[in-house]
Amino acid sequence: HQICNIFRDAQKNTASHRKLIVSLRKIQEQCCYEPANPKKADTNVFNETTFNNEFVRCALRVMPVKKTESAGEKVIRFIGLFLRHSNDKDNELLGDVEEDASVMPETAGTRLTSQLMETILPLLTSKDKFVRYRSTQLISHVVNSLDAIDDELFQKLRHGLLRRIHDKEAMVRSQAVLGLGRLVGNQAEAGADPDDSDGDDAGLLEKLLEVLQNDPSADVRRSLLVNLPILPNTLPYLLERARDQDAATRRAVYSRLLPALGDFRHLSLSMREKLLRWGLRDRDDNVRKSAGRLFRERWIEDCAGVPATDEDGKPVESAPNFDGLQELLERIDVVNSGVENGVALEAMNGFWEGRPDYRDAAVFDDQFWLTLSAESVFMARSFNEFCRSEGNGKYESLLEVKLPEVTKLAFYLERYISVLIEAIKRVQETSDENEEDEEEDTVEQEFIVEQMLQIALTLDYSDEVGRRKMFALLRQSLSIPELPDEITKLTVNVLREICAPDLAGEKEFCSIVLEAVADVHDTIADDTAGPANDADTTEDSFHSAKSEVSLDAPAKKAAARGASTEEDEEEARQKAIKEIMINMKCLYIVQCMLTNVAGDLQQNDHLVAMLNNLVVPAVRSHEAPVRERGLVCLGLCSLLDRSLAEENLVLFMHFFAKGHTALQITALHILTDILNVHGAQLLATTPTLLKVYLKALRSGSKSPEVQAAATLAASKLLLGRVVTDPDASSELLKTLVVAYFDPSSAHNQSVRQALNYFLPVFCYSRAENQDLMRSVALDALHSLYNIRQNLEDDDVDVEEDMQNLATIGACLVDWTDPRKCYSPDSGLDSEKRSVNGDIHLSLALDILERLGGNMSKEEKKVVSPLLGKLYISASSSEDKIREAYEEVTIAVNDKLV
Amino acid sequence: PAGPTRTRKEKEPFEMDFAAPMDRTLADALYTQASSNSAISMPKKDWKSKSRNLLPDDKHFNSRSLLNLFLKPKARLSSRRIRTGLGGNGHRDNVPPGAEMDE
Repeated sequence: HQICNIFRDAQKNTASHRKLIVSLRKIQEQCCYEPANPKKADTNVFNETTFNNEFVRCALRVMPVKKTESAGEKVIRFIGLFLRHSNDKDNELLGDVEEDASVMPETAGTRLTSQLMETILPLLTSKDKFVRYRSTQLISHVVNSLDAIDDELFQKLRHGLLRRIHDKEAMVRSQAVLGLGRLVGNQAEAGADPDDSDGDDAGLLEKLLEVLQNDPSADVRRSLLVNLPILPNTLPYLLERARDQDAATRRAVYSRLLPALGDFRHLSLSMREKLLRWGLRDRDDNVRKSAGRLFRERWIEDCAGVPATDEDGKPVESAPNFDGLQELLERIDVVNSGVENGVALEAMNGFWEGRPDYRDAAVFDDQFWLTLSAESVFMARSFNEFCRSEGNGKYESLLEVKLPEVTKLAFYLERYISVLIEAIKRVQETSDENEEDEEEDTVEQEFIVEQMLQIALTLDYSDEVGRRKMFALLRQSLSIPELPDEITKLTVNVLREICAPDLAGEKEFCSIVLEAVADVHDTIADDTAGPANDADTTEDSFHSAKSEVSLDAPAKKAAARGASTEEDEEEARQKAIKEIMINMKCLYIVQCMLTNVAGDLQQNDHLVAMLNNLVVPAVRSHEAPVRERGLVCLGLCSLLDRSLAEENLVLFMHFFAKGHTALQITALHILTDILNVHGAQLLATTPTLLKVYLKALRSGSKSPEVQAAATLAASKLLLGRVVTDPDASSELLKTLVVAYFDPSSAHNQSVRQALNYFLPVFCYSRAENQDLMRSVALDALHSLYNIRQNLEDDDVDVEEDMQNLATIGACLVDWTDPRKCYSPDSGLDSEKRSVNGDIHLSLALDILERLGGNMSKEEKKVVSPLLGKLYISASSSEDKIREAYEEVTIAVNDKLV
Repeated sequence: PAGPTRTRKEKEPFEMDFAAPMDRTLADALYTQASSNSAISMPKKDWKSKSRNLLPDDKHFNSRSLLNLFLKPKARLSSRRIRTGLGGNGHRDNVPPGAEMDE
């Protein structure tokens, strides 16, 4: 009859729900209340019981409906809406007499609610998963849509839902936490009710937070993420989901949680930075987009103000607020997040991309450049970077309009460099008082200069006046010993950009950088009393470096003079320290220079002189920091000169063998770069070199950082086809595969992630690589089998840190799957073509051979199932198929498999 | 043998029949209780996840990190040995499919 029909209509679309609710309410009123019109009442044969029974009967019909049918949810929403409407109307009828009474009045609506809920409750533990799903959904929905529920009933519902948060089915859990999540919120708001079983509430929240962290289903976690109230005690748990394993959940943090959170400035500085970094560098594109939008649409609003609304409530075009943008940059601590590899540059790149209003309104005039702050200079730097790198050059015209010419920029840069140097000197001179303020100031001044140099790095130096001005300024600055390292590096890089890219340009670059090095070096002489080194040529200065490079020399001299008073000793000590500092600085400049040089060392006299007079003495220095920096420079020189590399190979290996962790890593880097540049013949002539790599790759438990560096190094050598010798390359690859699965690297994310990237890329990029993997697969598996066996013998719980051997085997089969390999003639669309499957046939032969050998029974159980996973294709070569077939037949006859 | 004439069967829109009387199957579905609580619950061992379902710190390995020199990151390795196909297509930050077992 009527109720039935209303339910029938309600399942079709939600648009008509309002109308249907009104009609249903009419029926309810007719059934439940004294008729307003007595005449009509005679025709009314139904009473409240009939109405409620019929209503509940219809609701029951929804219970078995599958999750995929949207009609089910529509009806449930309809029920929720109706119950709310009906309760509201009842309360209206009651009038406001009892509005604030603590006891809930009983009405038609509450009676209906109770009857429905009592009927549905037992279904929560039904055997049928859809019945559990729908009943949980309905109860959650009702709990959420009603303002007040009879307390006793409420406790029952809450209890029923609570049991479902550990349901077998994720869809049920999802609905249960949906209902409970809101309850936590209500209770938090009601808060101050001491009579309520508050211990219980804390228990509920605790349970839900546990589900948020631990539930295996991402849907459940996400459902909680968006439904739990944002409270000081829930927030850390909610924000943590920014690193959830599920991309959609991570995205929900950026697109739903954080916008709902309100002003981002309430978050801690480090949390803002983390959220931004995680979001903008997420591996999932949608997460990155949401994070970008959050930054440029929400966070900026928190600083710049929400767009005002006009009388109609429509947002008025508000002018871009650059003070707001600067505050935003301050709030993400741009002095720290704006340095190299910091996230601020990515954030601003997205900002300029997504905010054309700010892009167009940006002004960088004289006033701007004369009053730079860390935030404003970063605005200019990021704008410059954005316009040059995005949009295929379509924004470059903006730069022409907005950015001053090179000469002017050089002029501003000069001002800020001198301000910085003065500040640094001030800090050096003043003792402890006010030191902190001063230092903070130099950090900002340093940042400003760095950013201006970053801009200088991208400028067009075809204008001769500008070029000369900048060139002279940088050459001059480089001679200042106090220039901080990062600025030194950038200065050298810009100088390389200003010089022509050809060999002649490189020579010019080297000569002027080395001039600056000589200037810096001369400052040692400047301080000595006697007119020690008046000669101004590079050559002479370097000679002095050679003789004074060790700490003992001046001390001995002082002693020899017989002036052994304490003051003299102290003076000598100070002088020695200064010398070390200056030498370190010179070596640093040289190191920065060498990273920009590509030509042959022997062809460049400046470089040869530098090598002999500065680098070689440094490597022999007794001072460890000087020696180590000298080593890097010697490494860089070796990249430019093959015979130098050959001569010093043993030296670098020595540093690996004897050095501390950082030095070992440096040595590995140098050796790997040398092999990369000069080819792997050196590996053949120096057999111990391969051992260096193998040892480093196996050093996981001792020094994880060295293992990580070695992993990357070996990956480069293999992928770059530097090492092609079959023995060396298979030894390296096998060691890498073992390292990948070895539980000792389980917590070494650098190793695991590098290999997770490298191994498939290596195997699938060339057939030869894949065959190399094939040739080491079973050896690697054997090693891993032993590792696991030993651990199990020692009663170690391996499950946690090591994949089971079947999974490892499957991985090896997958890496050698010929269908996944790129081949030049058919590209990557492996699905449709039939591929030559020789490689898996060879693997099959390998496996059969092993099975025929003296392998333990247990290991055979690991190896033989792999046969079933191989890809056998008719387009393999015929003799290979025959051979495999014969071997299989023999194996079957011998009952090997 | 299925000819091209066979058209795809339109899925009939789902509709609940609220007027229909309660039948056996419906009653069974509604009122058969689970044999025990554990039969409809997640095993206890799944209640806790050691990783808290969080990703490890992302080290952002990509083809760039394998194709440059350690000491001179800006200089790419000489192109003679490096195959082109590797640099760009699809390998950017992502791990190729099928290789995610470690995550």
